[in-house]
Amino acid sequence: MIDTLLFVALPYLALFVGIFGSIYRIRTAPLTYSSLSSQFLENKGLMWGSLPWHIGITIILAAHIIAFLFPGLWQSIVSHQQVLYAMESIGLCLSILCLLGLLVLGLRRLTSPKLQAVTTTMDLVIILLLLLQVGLGAAIAVHCKWGSAWCSGTTTPYVWSIITFQPDVSYISEMPLLVKAHIVGAWLFILAIPFSRLIHMFAVPVEYLFRPPQNVVWTNSRKLESQDQAFVKEEARRHFLWAFSGIALGGFLLSVGTFRNVFSFFFGPRLERKVETELMETRLSRLESTVGQRKLELERQASNYILVGKLTDLNASNGKYFIDFSMQPAIAFKGKDEMPLLISAKCTHLGCTVGNKVDDKGRILCPCHVSYFDIVSGEPNAEAPAKAPLPHLGWVIMDEKGSVLARRDSKGKSQGSVSAEQRESARVYIAKNQEETT
Amino acid sequence: MIDLDKAAHKVSGFLSERIPVEKLNFHSMVEKKEVPIHKMSWGYYTGGLTMFFFLIQVVTGLFLLFYYQPTVSDAHVSVEYISHYVAGGALIRNMHAWSSSCMIFCAMVHLLTAFAMKSFEKPREITWIAGVLLLFITFTFGFTGYLLPWNQIAVNATKVGLQSVEYVGQYLPGQLADVPRILRETFQGEASVGQSTLGRFYALHVVILPLLLASLLGLHLLMVQLHGMSQGVDKPAKKAEKFISIFVFKDLSLWATVFLALFVVALCIPFDSFLPFPLLAPFNALGSTPQGIKPEWYFFFVYYPLELLPFWVILLASMVAVAVLIFAPWIFKGTSRRTLGFITLSASAYLVVMTVFGEQIYEFFKH
Amino acid sequence: MSLCTTRKHLLDPAEPALGASGFAVFAALACCTFFSLPAFSYPEFQEFVEKHSHKTVNCAMCHTNENGPVGEGKGQIGSLSPDEMKRLNSARGALEAGQNVDSPILNKFGNEIIKAIGKKKFVQLKGDPSKLFDALPGKSDLDGDGIPDAQEYMDGTDTLNKFHGDPGKLFFVNLSRYKLHIVLAIIAVLSLNFGLLHLVKGISILQSKKGG
Repeated sequence: MIDTLLFVALPYLALFVGIFGSIYRIRTAPLTYSSLSSQFLENKGLMWGSLPWHIGITIILAAHIIAFLFPGLWQSIVSHQQVLYAMESIGLCLSILCLLGLLVLGLRRLTSPKLQAVTTTMDLVIILLLLLQVGLGAAIAVHCKWGSAWCSGTTTPYVWSIITFQPDVSYISEMPLLVKAHIVGAWLFILAIPFSRLIHMFAVPVEYLFRPPQNVVWTNSRKLESQDQAFVKEEARRHFLWAFSGIALGGFLLSVGTFRNVFSFFFGPRLERKVETELMETRLSRLESTVGQRKLELERQASNYILVGKLTDLNASNGKYFIDFSMQPAIAFKGKDEMPLLISAKCTHLGCTVGNKVDDKGRILCPCHVSYFDIVSGEPNAEAPAKAPLPHLGWVIMDEKGSVLARRDSKGKSQGSVSAEQRESARVYIAKNQEETT
Repeated sequence: MIDLDKAAHKVSGFLSERIPVEKLNFHSMVEKKEVPIHKMSWGYYTGGLTMFFFLIQVVTGLFLLFYYQPTVSDAHVSVEYISHYVAGGALIRNMHAWSSSCMIFCAMVHLLTAFAMKSFEKPREITWIAGVLLLFITFTFGFTGYLLPWNQIAVNATKVGLQSVEYVGQYLPGQLADVPRILRETFQGEASVGQSTLGRFYALHVVILPLLLASLLGLHLLMVQLHGMSQGVDKPAKKAEKFISIFVFKDLSLWATVFLALFVVALCIPFDSFLPFPLLAPFNALGSTPQGIKPEWYFFFVYYPLELLPFWVILLASMVAVAVLIFAPWIFKGTSRRTLGFITLSASAYLVVMTVFGEQIYEFFKH
Repeated sequence: MSLCTTRKHLLDPAEPALGASGFAVFAALACCTFFSLPAFSYPEFQEFVEKHSHKTVNCAMCHTNENGPVGEGKGQIGSLSPDEMKRLNSARGALEAGQNVDSPILNKFGNEIIKAIGKKKFVQLKGDPSKLFDALPGKSDLDGDGIPDAQEYMDGTDTLNKFHGDPGKLFFVNLSRYKLHIVLAIIAVLSLNFGLLHLVKGISILQSKKGG
């Protein structure tokens, strides 16, 4: 019952009186609808009170109106967590700014003797009500957090139900008392608009800020001289105002964006266990391949012979890669004499690793700058960027017991031979010192 | 002895002309400085833009330092970690990559415009030489930074690059022939590009080059402020604007716009996308070199000619080019701005053609 | 491009005859090519992609190992554990579409292909690899970069790397993905520039007043 009274009857009364009352007042007494200025009487308090109050309340009211008029847009904006955080904290700061401004304005009305003369009771009531209403708003921001998000399911549809003449109290009947009080306060203000200085909100002098300067001067000769100067100063002031607002907005947005990213960058990721495990595995396998590399190096330091492979594994057209004693790649083929043919795979041009497939002309290819090397002579083709031939490597063939069957040095001088039955078990090695192979 | 005295006198005379001590104060270096307005005025912004990209490099580079690990086993993983897991990491890394290219591009444009505007004229020789050295340092930055992700293209391109240094040796006489090899081994640190190379390049890229660049940049800027903006055109400009605050704020506004463009590009196009993905795999020390190894685009102007022409031609040409660049203030002392403009245009045409169509030209001649 | 299939080799880390290090010998393995058992690899797809996209790709497009499935390295048949062997065999049996496969020699994309179209159809497509584009589910996007796998296959880009794709396509995908950030950045920079412009105007007015 009381809900119906406060949230259905009161709104319609308020809207009716507010709208038609304001129109009536503006029509009948147009000169009174801008608020009575007191700047002549007292200036300092006005600056510290009026400015924060009006800045704060304008932005807050605008946010309320956007949230009510464009719920879809609003929802899409606040669905980003960071935006919601920013919005809520800005809102709270602004409401505190409003409260402070209101306090200054109220004290000023109460204490300045000159102002007492022009202050009506209605002014004082309005200030008190505003204090209460803004205080409620701030309290909601603190106690019922994320109002900018939950409003879209509660108060917004309620307001729309009022506007569309299908009043539905159920949207807000379960709301906390704070919120209900705030809503009642809002309707009361709409009701009070035609009867108080609140009506001046329909006469916001926005254009004053940025309009071309108008300087009212007495037209005597002395004043005319300074007129130009004043004009220029005003013009510059106008530009500085624009500059300030632009830089402030841009700087604010940039710094918020940067701060957000910078913080989360340094905070670092907190990974799920599965992802973390996968990452660990990758790290470990990379470490293992480094370990393998180091072991190869060590082996080449320590041992005199390095296994290339079984003699029977060697192929005439598809070379087998191995790493020589200087940790450079090399390839093993089977030569025409059925013996191993070992050739360096480090391109003599710029050191890329040469491919191991022999083409139909008996050549292997370095992919970096397209040099073809003949595997028998080692010589590059005529047009190749590489000029020097790939050097051959010497080799040693041993049987299973480790006794040497045959060997060849890097210059191609061979000795010994491998019989057909020995071939099966024969293994090809490279030797550390050339002297040992010869 | 007399000769020594004469030489000393000459040096001090040279320096006092270039560094007018009486102008070394805030008033004449900052307050009084003016920037001429004429049809080439845009040239005055290119230097600031280069510095802006350098600042971005410093900041994003510092960010990357927090996560990057310069070891052969971890480098690639840590870079992937930055891209895939750290919040904003992909953006920062991508910005670092894009901005490096932009910095080099701007530095080249700055050099070209300064040349065309004859900004190296007496007494600005020191500014010019410092600027040329700055450009070389910037290239070295690009080369050393390329290795750090330790993927296939990084290591193999570095291998080829370092090996090319050694290649110079065969054209040097006697004892000198060994110098390039020793130089390569110093930078490489071991038999082939490996952990030692990575450590050295990392130290260069992160500490030594930035220090060098910052100090040279300090000298460069001091000189610019000392001598004021060069006239830039033949007829002295009628109009000029104050450096403080008009030009500075205009510069800032340009920086903001450029930052926006960089931000959008870095957010939307991963720099790595331009390479085939096998080249982005972690470097495999025991595999063969994959196809398609080539340097970054800003080396194309020397890379493709290098592929097409004999090495000594390129060596000779680049040595001449470097000498001409460094001694430009003396070589082109009497050259008119018209001629300089023509030289600049032809040089730019060459750079653009080689960078954009280099690959096609290479294919055309090789096949 | 003619070299594409003739270049991949690797060191075989597990050659048993090599003693302690186990790393001493390269096993020269052709990338997805001739020497492998014919049942295991399908280089036709790689060749097609390289021809179509003019980009180099390797076996890592679909396989675990960049050198293909044959060999004894990580993710190659020679190194599989009994459990992995079991998974491989069950994957080989997935002739029809719709079966969950988790073959150790295939990467996510490779498994996805077999799951989506079945092994039988996949082998049929060998004759015309371009048809794989139509056969793959149009919406599947394993790396979440906004370009469907089938499209990435045609472009020759990495289906499993969020930061690899056709630059032009990625640009538009990300543009709409980050539009809020971009719009905010544009607003910020525009208002900053607007402010700076007026600052410059204001200052020049004051300066001209002082000068005049």
